[in-house]
Amino acid sequence: MNGAQAPRFAELVAASAFSFLEGASQPSDMIAAALAHGLDGLGLADRNSVAGVVRAHVALRRARERAGADIPFRFLPGARLVFADGAPPIVAYAETRAGWGRLTRLLTTGNRRAEKGQCRLALEDLLALHEELLLIALPSETLPCEHGAALAMLRDAAPGRLWLAATMQRSGTDRRRLAERAALASRLGLGLLATNDCLFATPGDRPLQDVLRCIRLKTSVAAAGRQLAANAERHIRPAAEMARLFRDQPHALAASLDILERAAFRLDELRHEYPDEPVPEGWTAQAWLEHLSWEAARRRCPDGVPERLKAKLDEELGLIGRMGYANYFLTVHDIVAFAQGRGILCQGRGSAANSAVCFLLGITSVDPMRHDLLFSRFISEERAEPPDIDVDFEHERREEVMQYIYARYGRERAGIAAAHIHYRPRSAVREAGKALGLSDDMTARIAGTVWGSHSRILEDERVTDAGMTLENPEVARLKGVADRLLGLPRHLSQHVGGYVLTKGRLDEIVPIHNAAMPDRTFIEWDKDDIGALGLMKVDILALGMLSCIARAFELLRQNGLGDYGLDSIPWEDAGVYDMLCRGDSIGVFQVESRAQINMLPRLRPREFYDLAIQVAIVRPGPIEGEMVHPYLRRRQGIERVEFPSPAPPHDPDELKTLLGRTCGVPLFQEQAMKLAIVAAAFTPGEANRLRRSMATFRHAGGMHDFEKKLVEGMVARGYARDFAIRCYRQIEGFGSYGFPESHAIAFARLVYISSWLKCRHPAAFACAILNSQPMGFYAPAQLVRDAQEHGVTVRPADVSASPWDNSLEPESSGSGNLALRLGFRQIGGFRRAWADAIVAARPEGAFSGLEDIARRARLPPRALRLLADADAFGSLALPRRTAHWEARRTPPGELPLFAAAQAIELADEPAADLPPMQAAQEMAADYQALRLSLKAHPLHFLRETLRRDGISSAADVAQAPSGRRMRMAGVVLVRQRPGKGNAMFITLEDETGITNILLWARDFERQRRQVTAARLMVAEGVVQKSREGIIHLMTRRVEDRSFLLASLSDEGARAAGRGHPRAMRIIPQSRDFR
Amino acid sequence: MPPTSPNSPAPLYLALLFPFLPSDRCSRSTAPPEPPFALVGRSGSAQRLAAVCPRARALGLLPGLPLADARAQEPRLAVVAHDPVADAALLRALARLCEDATPTVAIERPDALLLEIGGSSHLFGGPQALADRLRQRMEAHGMHLREALGATPDAALAFARYPSADGMIGHLPVAALSLGEDAERGLRRAGLALVRDVARQPRAAIAARFGMGAALALDRLDGSAPRPLSPRREHAPLRFEERLAEPVATADGVRAIMARLIERACRRLARRGLGGRRFDMSLFRTDGQTHGLAMESGRPTRDPAAIARLFAERIEALADPLDPGFGYDRILLSIGRTDALAAHQPALEAAGDRVDDRDGDRVGDRDGDRRNDALAALIDRLSIRFGPARLLRLLPAQSHVPERAERRVEAQSAERRSADALSWPQPLNADPPARPIFLFDPPEPVEVLAEVPDGPPFRFRWRSIQHRVACAEGPERIAPEWWRLKDGALHGGRTRDYWRVEDMEGRRFWLFRHGLCDEPQGAPRAGGMRPPGWFLHGLFA
Repeated sequence: MNGAQAPRFAELVAASAFSFLEGASQPSDMIAAALAHGLDGLGLADRNSVAGVVRAHVALRRARERAGADIPFRFLPGARLVFADGAPPIVAYAETRAGWGRLTRLLTTGNRRAEKGQCRLALEDLLALHEELLLIALPSETLPCEHGAALAMLRDAAPGRLWLAATMQRSGTDRRRLAERAALASRLGLGLLATNDCLFATPGDRPLQDVLRCIRLKTSVAAAGRQLAANAERHIRPAAEMARLFRDQPHALAASLDILERAAFRLDELRHEYPDEPVPEGWTAQAWLEHLSWEAARRRCPDGVPERLKAKLDEELGLIGRMGYANYFLTVHDIVAFAQGRGILCQGRGSAANSAVCFLLGITSVDPMRHDLLFSRFISEERAEPPDIDVDFEHERREEVMQYIYARYGRERAGIAAAHIHYRPRSAVREAGKALGLSDDMTARIAGTVWGSHSRILEDERVTDAGMTLENPEVARLKGVADRLLGLPRHLSQHVGGYVLTKGRLDEIVPIHNAAMPDRTFIEWDKDDIGALGLMKVDILALGMLSCIARAFELLRQNGLGDYGLDSIPWEDAGVYDMLCRGDSIGVFQVESRAQINMLPRLRPREFYDLAIQVAIVRPGPIEGEMVHPYLRRRQGIERVEFPSPAPPHDPDELKTLLGRTCGVPLFQEQAMKLAIVAAAFTPGEANRLRRSMATFRHAGGMHDFEKKLVEGMVARGYARDFAIRCYRQIEGFGSYGFPESHAIAFARLVYISSWLKCRHPAAFACAILNSQPMGFYAPAQLVRDAQEHGVTVRPADVSASPWDNSLEPESSGSGNLALRLGFRQIGGFRRAWADAIVAARPEGAFSGLEDIARRARLPPRALRLLADADAFGSLALPRRTAHWEARRTPPGELPLFAAAQAIELADEPAADLPPMQAAQEMAADYQALRLSLKAHPLHFLRETLRRDGISSAADVAQAPSGRRMRMAGVVLVRQRPGKGNAMFITLEDETGITNILLWARDFERQRRQVTAARLMVAEGVVQKSREGIIHLMTRRVEDRSFLLASLSDEGARAAGRGHPRAMRIIPQSRDFR
Repeated sequence: MPPTSPNSPAPLYLALLFPFLPSDRCSRSTAPPEPPFALVGRSGSAQRLAAVCPRARALGLLPGLPLADARAQEPRLAVVAHDPVADAALLRALARLCEDATPTVAIERPDALLLEIGGSSHLFGGPQALADRLRQRMEAHGMHLREALGATPDAALAFARYPSADGMIGHLPVAALSLGEDAERGLRRAGLALVRDVARQPRAAIAARFGMGAALALDRLDGSAPRPLSPRREHAPLRFEERLAEPVATADGVRAIMARLIERACRRLARRGLGGRRFDMSLFRTDGQTHGLAMESGRPTRDPAAIARLFAERIEALADPLDPGFGYDRILLSIGRTDALAAHQPALEAAGDRVDDRDGDRVGDRDGDRRNDALAALIDRLSIRFGPARLLRLLPAQSHVPERAERRVEAQSAERRSADALSWPQPLNADPPARPIFLFDPPEPVEVLAEVPDGPPFRFRWRSIQHRVACAEGPERIAPEWWRLKDGALHGGRTRDYWRVEDMEGRRFWLFRHGLCDEPQGAPRAGGMRPPGWFLHGLFA
């Protein structure tokens, strides 16, 4: 330190980007700037929010870790209270833990009475909750009289705890204002506090602040003019400069140090205690958890708990006891037990879910004894990290679970974690473009070329792709601004389902907000913040596949095919693996994407653990680490399994146990992490930081230090540099989508269960998945077709047979097989109430005709028309056209339709002379009403035309030898451009099957329009067959022949000429994934 | 169908359909967009193509397509805002171009004209010749055109829209009945794709399903039900003329006639609720010479006395006074531009029962109005005398940079301070004015001795005279407007620190230091680091 003479100062009025659309710097940048200037401390006070304080807290913690010593610097978490009633803004800091609780309750009060994203506070709210808070008033320069009155009121309420802020921002009359402020302070008997009311860290951040303000004001920089700041003065200043500016009032600097000392609350003091509710009277949480676990173990193993399990339980319960996590496990158990009691399927995953305790408590059905998980350590003692359990629930019934949590713990003790929404490339370009006054057109063009949404900077190619040059100053400026906007927080949203539950009041830890959805409340901190403070959350997630499985189990029960649960289906059924090895996995959880289907025949899963590998291997981590092919070669026996090993002084087998089950190739996230510890000599703490920065590197940065340490560390121990670099890239790949073994195993269970259903009960599976739409990769048409190919009879929706849902009926042949009956839900636009009315009217006897149905089920004309268009009157021998003509008979608008006409029969009318419908038209009409047709595939009707053009079918392609040049036409099912986007995968379907098209990016760019617009595509390329029998058509040229589809329908045939795009929509649009 | 006498020619209709009207309009403009382009409108939250140019159409981009999809297909697609009002105006203009062919020209929005040519086509050599003539004319105006003849208006229009019908009513698609999307879909679903399929069904069956309108549309197509045309009607132009049997040659005589014309014009304006902004008086001399007098007003007006006075001013201001020679035989007043001007009764209101006097502001406003009226009259007179470009007023502009904080507009311009209450900066409390009333353009360099790094000046030399600073206040720091930097950078340019200073003699100046000590000074080519310069930017009163 420079001795007693050096001026000292702490900046106590600083906003970060969490003062949305006002502050322009990350909390970590503010801390960094304050540290760089050698300030004594920094107080972060965002507008009615404490959302950014944990980020600043963590940034300071990291700086201390880096420095390796304690830095004499204090960070004050606080908030800038902005009132709705005209009172001056007040920055508040807590003297004590209780003061912090008051501050967060105050903010909760304001949030809960306003809409999402707003906070409505009045001065009286503060007057009610001001104790143990230090207050800094920022009245406006003109000092309106209500400000004067408010100051006097606050002074009387909080004597000695109120200061008056003064700024010197070079507005031309600074000294005059300072003198006035000093006079006011002495008149009111308040201390004067020097501050710079910072909005950003350094003067270089001014352009960003201007842009943010323009976004807020919905204007452009050129038009905003004086609404922007005149200069860049509102940054963090060194103490010496503050001393120079405030030389007239030196005691104003000293006041900052007073406050710094008195505001003693630190975020580390926040202690999280899980609720006691699940613990019965007279028990401690730990004892109750142990009791439940041992009970369950004894129940499971009536012949005596095996030693191995005993040892494991002892170890786990001991660790839980030492860390004090018993309440957490009991809370999760309580939630899961509620769901199971209601018959809601659920399954836990996550690191802590790997434990025997979770298995015994029923939180997960992965038996750690059976699967011999790689890592017995489910909680890391040295990391002192809270355990993490995610529980998936049936997506349609998750809300019941969520409302149970609120009901059980109360709004002030339960909240969903926040998701901090950041600017992504697309939104950054769009908003920056608006603020710079560029045309929507231009920004839309650049934004439109951005694929994927997680990159940290806008790549130059994105700009040039849009046909623009960075030499144009406007474009360069746009890129400059967009790059800086990227990663800045934009607003708070709710996390998908991470709940924080507390024993005491949650709103005395962190403010609670109303969510956009009714009946939901969330807190201000996101999952990283929660983790950094050691708070625990449990993720209540929704999973569509669980709904589907629940439905399938129910169908099996109803039809006497067995009573199954997640745990009780037959495991390791060879037929199921045979099916998967064929790549026959449409509809199956996780392994139904094109990439997964291609992987199945190569990986050839034969046992449960193979499924976990299958799920994990088609992920950015292993792909970017180039680990996929080595693994496959070794598994197929082409390459010898060997373990990377270090140079002599080190144990050559140090990786053997780690990589033993994956043929010496790291595939899972834990393996990559452990590699860093074992092979690159990371400390567990460092590995932990590495993992964290991987998960959050989008807004934290700092990965490059790790790269050097990891690669050089491994090389120094004698590992091949190439292997080290690949390991690093793999870790980087996990950053965007981490995939630990425990998740893979949990998912693998659902893969197996859904595969088993598909293999052994295809009708029930197809029915369940259709009733769970939308989910997965495929449209109903493909799911139905797949069921038919698996021998399921599919029957059309019919007024005399269908309920709302798709359902199962016995096959008429008496084979005992079940047929799938399409339900009314497949009819686009049809309503459940109509369906139920039809079902309710059936017992009175068979319907005699359309009028009869309309009368008995009281259907409006729209319902009748939809039924007619869906050809649902087949059982009444009423063809589609005739039915439609009938249904049209009562003109719309004349209400109440048949209800009024109940007694009056419509007059007889001569039979209409309607032309009969062609088969192609029937098919097209089916697609329009149901998005599928049981009658024929569209390509069936075009085959003649296509054959004349020398176009082959999918079956031809499948038969052709590798290397043959062919043209193939099909309906586009899926377009996918995975990963880095250098290849595009397209799936085409015709009446004979499916062909996979691969198109390189350069060929795609050349034919962008055809590729993206075609519903019926002709692809020309060379057939390529892999050893495993996977067939691709390596395509260079595609044609858009969608107009042929239009010619099939009676609407399209006439409309094709003057074509509205609607007329083309016979085939539902493909599902496209980026 | 109206009864026709044997002698009168059978009615015949010509439909002119402009399939690319919006895009043709853009292509005709001075800066036409590069094809392929599309006109885009907002429907709900999505931007959709409202119309496309022929190139875009050929690429398969159709109206109705969401813009995002269109762009995915054709990244080079240029985009223009859809402007239905301008399209309608163009259609009206095109209708005027047809008025020599027939008096009955009806506008069929949004993209067609319908002409009744039964009575007039013989003048042009028959219907086909007339159609060809109009086609050439439209094409000369850059319009794509599809025309068709028909015995009924609906048939002509339908044949133009659906050329595939080949002039046969039965071959028209059901869309030609214009029954709306739902009914069209219903007919097509029933397998009734062409008009003849529908016509074959009993009318009662059609009416029971698609309403009486459907049956009527069928009848109108073949002429068994009448369909009246509504010919284009426009307000006659505001032109007032006096033809004089006896030419007037005296100044008084001319003034009297002009006053009469102005009276008439003002009565017409009052009826339409308008006020004139531009008046043109044309005086035709018996020997064929014409004099023109033009007069513009800053505010819409229909006060005859004021207008007459302005014309009198105009005449007086002429370098070359009006020379009636042997007299004027025709004087024409036309009003070139008008604005809405509601009727008001200032005298009555002022004397009224002061009901709204509770609202003090409104009374003030009224007084202000009166003052403004007087000022406006003065501005009009001065502008007419010296030319509108010579009489300017200042409006505040959105910038901190002093020379950009104001802009000059013609005093007569209707432009007001924008509604967002952009006002001149006001000094706080009882501060002295922050900005001088006089600015140098450009600021004048001065030599200054000042406290470093950013303190006030002690002494400065301006125009060779040394000034010692008695007191100074500042700095007011104004950073450069980064969004104007030529190289597209976000940083650069020099910050200014403004000081208000008073010298020993009590004169007040506005000085600024150009550049901060710690900021990179200008581009490297300009000599790298330059010390900050000082300038005198203005003088306080």
